[in-house]
Amino acid sequence: MYSETSSVKPLFYIILLNLVGAVLISIQYGGANLEAVVLTGAICLVSIVSYTVVSAAELGDAYLFLIISVLGSVGGIMQMRIKPEYGVRQLKWFLVGTACYFGAMLLYRLMNRWLHRLVPLYFILSVALYVATRLFGKTSHGSKNWIIIGGLSIQPSELIRIFFVLSLAAIFTGAIPAKYREKFGIRPKYLRLLAATFITLVNVGFLLLQREWGISLLFFATYFFFIYVYGASRLYLLLNAIGAAAVGVMGVTYVSHIKVRIDTWLHPFADASGKGYQITQSLFAIGEGGMAGRGIGAGSVYFIPEVHSDFIFSAICEEMGVVGGLAILMLYFVLVYRGFKIALSCTNAYNKAVAFGISFILGLQTFIIIGGVTKMIPLTGITLPFVSYGGSSMLTTFAACGILQAISGKKEEITDEIQ
Amino acid sequence: MKYNKKIISVLVVMCCLFLSVFVYLTYFSLFKADELNSSNYANYNRRLWEREDSVLRGSVYDRTGTVVLAESRFGDDGVQKRYYPYGALYAHAVGYNARSYGKTNLELTYNDYLLRTEGWDEILKYGMDDSKMSRGCDLITTLDHGLMQVAQEQMKGRSGAVVALDPRTGEVLCLFSNPSFDPNEDKLAESWADLAEDENSPFLPRATMGLYPPGSTFKLAVAAAALDSGLDDYSVDDGGTVSIDGRDFSNAGKKEYGEIDLKSGFKYSSNVMFAQLGVKLGEEKLKDAAESFMVTEKIPFDIETSSKGWDYDSMGKTDLASVGIGQGRLLTTPLNMALAAAAVANGGVMMKPYLVRSAVSANSVEVYRAVPKALKTAISSGTADEIAEYMLACVESGTGTNARIRGVEVCGKTGTAQNEREGKDHAWFIGFAPKDDPQIAVAVIQEYSGGSGGSACAPVAREIMEAWLE
Repeated sequence: MYSETSSVKPLFYIILLNLVGAVLISIQYGGANLEAVVLTGAICLVSIVSYTVVSAAELGDAYLFLIISVLGSVGGIMQMRIKPEYGVRQLKWFLVGTACYFGAMLLYRLMNRWLHRLVPLYFILSVALYVATRLFGKTSHGSKNWIIIGGLSIQPSELIRIFFVLSLAAIFTGAIPAKYREKFGIRPKYLRLLAATFITLVNVGFLLLQREWGISLLFFATYFFFIYVYGASRLYLLLNAIGAAAVGVMGVTYVSHIKVRIDTWLHPFADASGKGYQITQSLFAIGEGGMAGRGIGAGSVYFIPEVHSDFIFSAICEEMGVVGGLAILMLYFVLVYRGFKIALSCTNAYNKAVAFGISFILGLQTFIIIGGVTKMIPLTGITLPFVSYGGSSMLTTFAACGILQAISGKKEEITDEIQ
Repeated sequence: MKYNKKIISVLVVMCCLFLSVFVYLTYFSLFKADELNSSNYANYNRRLWEREDSVLRGSVYDRTGTVVLAESRFGDDGVQKRYYPYGALYAHAVGYNARSYGKTNLELTYNDYLLRTEGWDEILKYGMDDSKMSRGCDLITTLDHGLMQVAQEQMKGRSGAVVALDPRTGEVLCLFSNPSFDPNEDKLAESWADLAEDENSPFLPRATMGLYPPGSTFKLAVAAAALDSGLDDYSVDDGGTVSIDGRDFSNAGKKEYGEIDLKSGFKYSSNVMFAQLGVKLGEEKLKDAAESFMVTEKIPFDIETSSKGWDYDSMGKTDLASVGIGQGRLLTTPLNMALAAAAVANGGVMMKPYLVRSAVSANSVEVYRAVPKALKTAISSGTADEIAEYMLACVESGTGTNARIRGVEVCGKTGTAQNEREGKDHAWFIGFAPKDDPQIAVAVIQEYSGGSGGSACAPVAREIMEAWLE
């Protein structure tokens, strides 16, 4: 079904993109960075090899990794442009991420019969990671959301996202073990809803403690749309919507952190040198870039604090223009669309639900951060997949997309265990 | 599969989210970005500062393009600084540009031109270091340095303003306000607090934003309204004082002129006549008279102007009489009155005033040139000719004889405007010359001079007109 993807044209564009980026950045710094050039070459090579292998071995959707290669290349170029150390590290993450991608793909294929039975394990691992973050975590920008393992900063919520999707998919599509059915003595439909709600509340609870508003929203929305698709209860959906609205209103009214975010969103210039500084500088950057952009390396992206992580999209708009920014946006959309397509064409219920969850999270995450830095919606710190600087985000997003790749290529079906 | 339908509807939601970002970002870039890049956000937008530092700001010249009014040079610290060679003289026209105090006047409104660079140099410079500084456009103003100096000499340090313009084009030749201040940044830094608190308001650009009662200079508009209402034969018996609704309106020095017609009333500036004329014309016509000459309206101009507008809801007889002689709640600026005189000079057509003739890039390309435009038709050319006759009479044998120039037919109108300070009237003179080929229109005001327009301001106007016509 994906045999039409045998053309080599897209590869040519990826190589061209990296080449142009490398030349412009060499001009910017007045010389080439050998390490970066080697890594860029490696990325082109990895793209070619992955594409060829996926096509030849019929591992499924060959476009997935291509799109990710473009996004990752843009991310590498922008990080390189902001700070060579970031760029080099980001390119290394890209290569490790590729390993994660195919590792996750293989693991998912091998473990496919088991994955939906591991919900308690996912839950325990998630809670353990949250507790470890609470105990040993370091605080950055008002959120205690990092733990350091072996010198590497890891943001556990990135990994937990995958556990969360695997769990929800299992709860809604897997068979319910007889022992639970006897223990609670209620209809399976309600048992599923209650289990999903319980897991979500625990996750969102920990995330709110970490002041991760954006990721909390992401988890809740995922849960909410799982209920919509699989819950078979409109009343419960409505109750959740009302509950979420009530919590939202309370948050906006009573939690000063959230209030500040809303105020800054509505009146960014009221405190443009203080709380509104980041968002106003982001808007100036996008405005200055105009349609065509100022050119890679020719902008003033250093005026935006945290430009390499949450605000990378503003830097893209300043230097590649709104046209460039919209092109990136469309790439994300194509990626998400293909994810949904994989979900739709998958015949195994569990895999379908996993593909749906991963695609949904990817899409919503992109919307939240791009909408946030352009002041379309209130800003909540969250990474832009494959482009924002950061290892844990890169690796887990690669792994999540590796799972999509596995599902897209799954030809032999395991027995549909639903009910 | 049974769930596909619902998954598709989630996909539709996702499409909407992405589409909304797409639309929003396009909208932002097309309609909001320019505003953010404008100097309104100069305090926040560090990119603007950066851009300013990367371009050598263009210079500002007088109308000949030879006298430098403002230029940027590099200081010892390698940072560019703005210099104003004539100090306070041009502060209320050119303005200042200082990082700590912002921008005013032409430095503000023409900021984009002063920073605008043209040509291939910019594109070829991409990515290179900035050692070769590019240069912004120069502004050639309409100001005449000679007239500005004459104005400064003639005003002798008194508070007030002198405005002169070419009635045929609207070019502003002289825009002098006093008191003023030194716009060089180091001087501003030294004296900012004192200047801001000074009760003489040196920061007020009197020529364009000082609001004064026009006094008898407004009779020009009233007389025009009378002519247009068919009151050509209007005459009164002037006994020096007239009582309207129990309030006395007197001529200057309570002088009695006897039986006078409109022209004589104008020439001698008879308050007795014009107070009654105001009542006779009524509210509507007086308002039209003020509006047709834009006396109370805001003038569109290259720098900021002010106006108070027509300040009456309904007028009693004493209000009508007061406005008839240019008092009451009537307020105007020297620029407005200079334009009124210029409109009469130009056959009733008021030209839009402007202060910048052209902007020229560093590689000598003219990127902007002002085009003279009519602002409005104040009165018919027939009425304008008649008023010009009245104004000529005023200078030849009326209150404005001090404005007479040998061999030139000068038209003018004096004014002595009462204000909140008893016995300290503002003195006005507006006029133009020569009558049949007007080349210059002027307005002069001296605040709280205590003297009359004819004695205090007419000589200043004469010197200005004479200097220009030479």
